[in-house]
Amino acid sequence: MSQLLAEEKKRITPKRPRDYVTWAVAIAIVAGLVWTAVTNENYRWPVVFSYFTTQSILNGLLITLVLTAVSMALSTLLGLVLAVMRMSHQRPVSGLAQLYIAFFRGTPVLVQLIFWFNIAALYPHISIGIPFTDISTPVNVNAIMTPLTAAVVGLTLNQAAYMSEIIRGGFASVPRGQHEAAESLGMSGFTKLRRVIIPQTMPSVVPATGNQVIGMLKETSLVSVLGVADLLNSAQSIYARNYQTIPLLIVASLWYLIMTLVLSVPQSMIERRFSRSTRARLTPAATSAEPGAGQPVPATRESLL
Amino acid sequence: MNADGTIVARKLCKSYGRHQVLRDIDLTVAAGEISCIIGPSGSGKSTLLRCINGLETIDRGVLKVNGEDFGYVEKDDAYHAVRPKRLAQQRTRIGMVFQQFNLFPNMTAESNVMSGPVLVKKKNREASREQARELLAKVGLEGCGHKYPAQLSGGQQQRVAIARALAMEPTIMLFDEPTSALDPERVGEVLAVMRDLAGNGMTMLLVTHEMGFAREVADEVLFMDEGIAVERGDAREVLGNPREKRTQAFLERVL
Repeated sequence: MSQLLAEEKKRITPKRPRDYVTWAVAIAIVAGLVWTAVTNENYRWPVVFSYFTTQSILNGLLITLVLTAVSMALSTLLGLVLAVMRMSHQRPVSGLAQLYIAFFRGTPVLVQLIFWFNIAALYPHISIGIPFTDISTPVNVNAIMTPLTAAVVGLTLNQAAYMSEIIRGGFASVPRGQHEAAESLGMSGFTKLRRVIIPQTMPSVVPATGNQVIGMLKETSLVSVLGVADLLNSAQSIYARNYQTIPLLIVASLWYLIMTLVLSVPQSMIERRFSRSTRARLTPAATSAEPGAGQPVPATRESLL
Repeated sequence: MNADGTIVARKLCKSYGRHQVLRDIDLTVAAGEISCIIGPSGSGKSTLLRCINGLETIDRGVLKVNGEDFGYVEKDDAYHAVRPKRLAQQRTRIGMVFQQFNLFPNMTAESNVMSGPVLVKKKNREASREQARELLAKVGLEGCGHKYPAQLSGGQQQRVAIARALAMEPTIMLFDEPTSALDPERVGEVLAVMRDLAGNGMTMLLVTHEMGFAREVADEVLFMDEGIAVERGDAREVLGNPREKRTQAFLERVL
């Protein structure tokens, strides 16, 4: 007989059969996968390891990373411009942005990449200059539209359409009263955006942009069709010579996996930080009850110091 | 004659589509005068207040703030809207306090107060910081300058908002139901700041449900209902001895 008083007894939830079954099934699946990976000779793991840090693979890796960084940076800038245009009260301005977004989101990025690579067929020569003056430079489109430029242009223009929607969502999350407060102080449109509105879009824009970066990293593999020596293309060039197709695709996949896993660490940190500060901000009532109790981390500290 | 701190409105009209929210409103506020707009919700009192600093535009009528046409210039054929820069400049002379405070959540209390002088008037940062500290002390928030709005209570936030508006050294202060979003025990601290301001000769126009406060500090009261200025006059007279039926009915309901 138990000596415990009813009041002192712990409360437990007894384990049920399904708690063990789910574990057993999951372990069986993973074990099976590992078993076949180890025993199936066709994986040729020694080949995977011998090519894992080959110079041409590492060069491809670098190109993939640079392409991701450059395209993301440019598309974020262009996306911001498009988002501001999209929200303009001037119908022609918002209409143009809408048209852009519809076009670039409505066609596959792979098609766009090939299109840009072949743009010289449409416009063999363009001249860049100042209208109504004689100052202009003729440009041979064929010469400048190398695989790498086509890759950057294609990825940037496509991604900008998505970024503009993310940024627009961020603007929509800022309450109308913030605009009114800034305007009532006599702020110009630019100062208002730069100092008041844009910092407040960060909690929604930054985590979403992080996701786009990870997406972009994988999307860059499409440029291999243009002959840009990115990670996938470098792997392809090697197996075109030695026919070790599967091992080299594994090499490329492992590198993509490593890069996305590495990127997901700051990404989840950013997400946690911003969700915390948003919570603190969305519940002023909670903090007003006990001032100073909540210690929110402001999204972006705007210092006028 | 110096017309700073005055508001003159004649026959203001405004519609949202078919719905007319302001019908021929007349309003005069002399320099240093405290005027209250009261009335049931949806009567157009907030809209009227928001027209006076350009958050809403009027369709017709004369609106002079600080002695000059506000937001428009009179031409032979019509009133022509001024450029955004000119409108912004006119707004710097009018302080606005909102029901929902609308502090910038990404800035500390001190930066909020400094934002106008530094970002709009391009004033020296150190001088502006000094001014911000003084203003925060004046509204009873000494030492709270480093806090973010989310760390302050509603009453504290509203007092920061008042300090932010005052930092622009306005000639007129507009208050749009400044205590309506506050917990009842926080109302007093905000009213105290406003009372202090009224005592210092600031021209104030406020939309409020605080009848006691209106009776105590207001010189004039305007009662609005369905977009019409029903009754206007001496505060104690309108609140204590209303002439119009609608005013009587409203006051009976709220008091």
